[in-house]
Amino acid sequence: MARPAFSTQPSRAGRRLRRAILVAFLVVVAVVLVLPLTLTQQAADANLDPTTLGIDFAMNKSIVRTETTIAMFVALAAAWNLIGGLTGYAAFGNVAFFGLGAYTVGYLTDKLHLSFALALPLAPVVAAAFAGLIGLPLLRLRGHYFAIATLGTGIAVGEVIKNLDVFGGATGLFPPILRHADALFFYLMAANAGLAVLVTWLVLRSRFGYGLIAIRENEEAASVLGVNTTAYKVGAFALAAALTGLAGGIFAQWASFIDQESVFPIQYNVEMILMAIIGGAGTLFGPVAGAIVLEWLILELAGGGASAVYAQIGLGLLLAVTVIFVPRGVVDFFGGSSRLTLGYLRRTLRETSV
Amino acid sequence: MSLFVQQLVLGLMLGGVYVAVAIGFSLVWGILNIVNLAHGALVVVGMYATWFLFTHAGLDPFLTLPLDALILFAVGYFLQRVLINRVIRAPLFFTLLLTFGINLVLINLFLLWFKADFRSVTPSYAGTGLSLGAVTVPYIRLAALVIALVQAGLVGLFMNRSRTGFAVQAVGADKDAAQLVGIDLRHVYALTFAVGAACAGVAGGLLSTIQAISPTAGEPYTLQAFVVVILGGLGRVSATVVGGLLFGLIEVLAQSQVPGLGAGWSNAIAFAVLVLVLVLRPQGLMGRLA
Amino acid sequence: MTGVLELESVTKRFGGVAALTDVSFSVGEGEILGLIGPNGAGKTTLLNCISGVYRLDAGKISLQGRRIDGLPPHQVARLGIGRTFQVVKPFASMTVRENAAVGALFGSAQAHMAPKAAFAWADEVLEMVGLAPKARLTVGSLTIPDRKRLEVARALATKPRLLLLDEVMAGLNPVEVDEALEMVRRVHAGGITIVLIEHVMRVVVGVCDRVIVLHMGQFLAEGTPDEVLQDRRVVEAYLGEKYAARRHG
Repeated sequence: MARPAFSTQPSRAGRRLRRAILVAFLVVVAVVLVLPLTLTQQAADANLDPTTLGIDFAMNKSIVRTETTIAMFVALAAAWNLIGGLTGYAAFGNVAFFGLGAYTVGYLTDKLHLSFALALPLAPVVAAAFAGLIGLPLLRLRGHYFAIATLGTGIAVGEVIKNLDVFGGATGLFPPILRHADALFFYLMAANAGLAVLVTWLVLRSRFGYGLIAIRENEEAASVLGVNTTAYKVGAFALAAALTGLAGGIFAQWASFIDQESVFPIQYNVEMILMAIIGGAGTLFGPVAGAIVLEWLILELAGGGASAVYAQIGLGLLLAVTVIFVPRGVVDFFGGSSRLTLGYLRRTLRETSV
Repeated sequence: MSLFVQQLVLGLMLGGVYVAVAIGFSLVWGILNIVNLAHGALVVVGMYATWFLFTHAGLDPFLTLPLDALILFAVGYFLQRVLINRVIRAPLFFTLLLTFGINLVLINLFLLWFKADFRSVTPSYAGTGLSLGAVTVPYIRLAALVIALVQAGLVGLFMNRSRTGFAVQAVGADKDAAQLVGIDLRHVYALTFAVGAACAGVAGGLLSTIQAISPTAGEPYTLQAFVVVILGGLGRVSATVVGGLLFGLIEVLAQSQVPGLGAGWSNAIAFAVLVLVLVLRPQGLMGRLA
Repeated sequence: MTGVLELESVTKRFGGVAALTDVSFSVGEGEILGLIGPNGAGKTTLLNCISGVYRLDAGKISLQGRRIDGLPPHQVARLGIGRTFQVVKPFASMTVRENAAVGALFGSAQAHMAPKAAFAWADEVLEMVGLAPKARLTVGSLTIPDRKRLEVARALATKPRLLLLDEVMAGLNPVEVDEALEMVRRVHAGGITIVLIEHVMRVVVGVCDRVIVLHMGQFLAEGTPDEVLQDRRVVEAYLGEKYAARRHG
């Protein structure tokens, strides 16, 4: 008899490997979490006068910036995983929620002079409400239709906002700058990433999660078994939107300047999907791993300036290689039966090509 | 009144552009079930090809169209045969991701080679037009409309009259059965994509005389081609023609007649049309019920 | 007789084609009702109408006196109608046990259990249909008869009062059919009313109390299995007029 595609019984060596990886992972997490504190300490030592701070400070600042960006993408990828990975709806426009969250904070702090602390909680609310609104018509669509309709959402929302002068038009919005808050932004982003993982964990264990996976596997069967498919899909979409919007809201204050280009980049749509898929869509930690590896790679490669073009080309090639050779995600290798061998690559290639 | 007629004329002309862009996109989607996110980038390849031949070889832009088609045919055949065929049986968003990756690579190659500068193709007759009373019909746009319709006709003939066209249709209808009667799937897939790319090349050639050329000039056209196909209905050349013309009219009329909307709103208008059609008539105006 | 399920003049069209015209019948409490008819008679369409997958163009369907036509499928399931699909629709990435548990997590008002209870009930149901030894396997490794069993298990897990079975015996060999018959009897003994679509006449004769025959989307005949199979109109519908004329002639 054929071996099941996804065995739930890892080998003993596999278990030991996973335990080692887990320990190493926890150590890294601890370092990553503590580092920004030293930054705050350094700033305090210098009596909040940046001119007296040395190279160390600048270096740490840049590391923390990288960490913050990565944490942001962990949240984006994990949020996408709820609708794309668990529910199986290929959402290509989540950047709309990111942008809406960012503009919520931007508008409230810049135009209405609300404090960041008061504005931020509204970012996920606005994003989720919008997701609920467009989710009702869009989630009736399947396959390509849903994918491109959501892609259009991301583009259109950005364009509409750019055309409305209340939201700063083409100039953008300027939330008042918060000084020496690098650590704060890192912890906010990291907390949001943690929240996204926690939410996924809870969902996977709940009736809601089983309903979503049932929808992914066969929507008609799910509905006759009693799954309220419309409510579940819209729920998952809104949940993903809320987490994405929260990330956008934090980003707006962190960047202290936003415009259409900076918070509605079409590319984010695909990057978060790629992260989830490389790591393993539908799994708990897959999107996290994918986001950390891929965003770190992107940041390293980009480095600003002319090399950005090469970074983009690299990303495109990586996309091609990933979808051609590793359709089930890298986490598949750690989680179960398949090992990363030439045979595996050949088999997946044969399965998916003509 | 004459202003309104002028808008109608411009709408139809713009519709011609959309027909040209959407024909190849629709073919690839209908037959291969691939929504080609690199379609816009292929259009840009056609733009640069025409620009190059116009500036360096002095060829009239309209004479470069067959060459654009040839170049893009080769590019398309290569892309499908070497890359996309590898994931054609994977879940659908893998083809979306792959074509997005191809799009990304192409755009950045353009950036490397041509920089972000805007270029243009301006033959001597650019800016002239046919005056009918108060209404002016720009020659270049009129020619673009005619060529778009001819192109649509040729694709229709190819699909319905040629042996290869029948093979392509057979594959679109049932790929396993087609394989059983001896059709080489890999070749037919590559051929279909190549024809789609060639159409994109011609569209690019036409567009190079109408708008500024830049690496990202093709971006809006992928979404717009999608909207055109949805509007007309998937699977028939005539439906794409109707969808394209209608979409051009809708866009021009919305921008000129609805207060508050202007040139910056074209994506939002496209999206609004998309959502309306998908909700009210998912099979498209000329589509049959599944 | 007041039935659990009442259909009144049910009509369903696709475009211009009438798939069901004016079909009326009722299903009695505790009955096993067979639904037969040649291919294209509208049997599966009828099931789709009852379970809320399709909307009616005309007519009424009530469950225990309550209108259910127009309700979405999940609400019909909530009211206690479970069904299987002729072409099996398993949740492929899940294990057999998880598949059944989805039915128990959602399903009828009597089901709708918390995860822990749902898995316990799923195990019981798998025992009932004979899939318990394969509970931990993924669906991909199941044989065709096992997949059909899983369809039944999933529907049973919803704790239905009415179970609609769509050709669960098609493609099974005689031994497997006997096992499946035994399974249907067990389920019925548990107090569930059953409507089953079947081509295998041995099954129809073996378990059905009453049979309704559809032909070209219309009600054709009704009676005990023996009566119906003797009915000239039914024989004509199945085998063509000439054969019937010769046989009765």
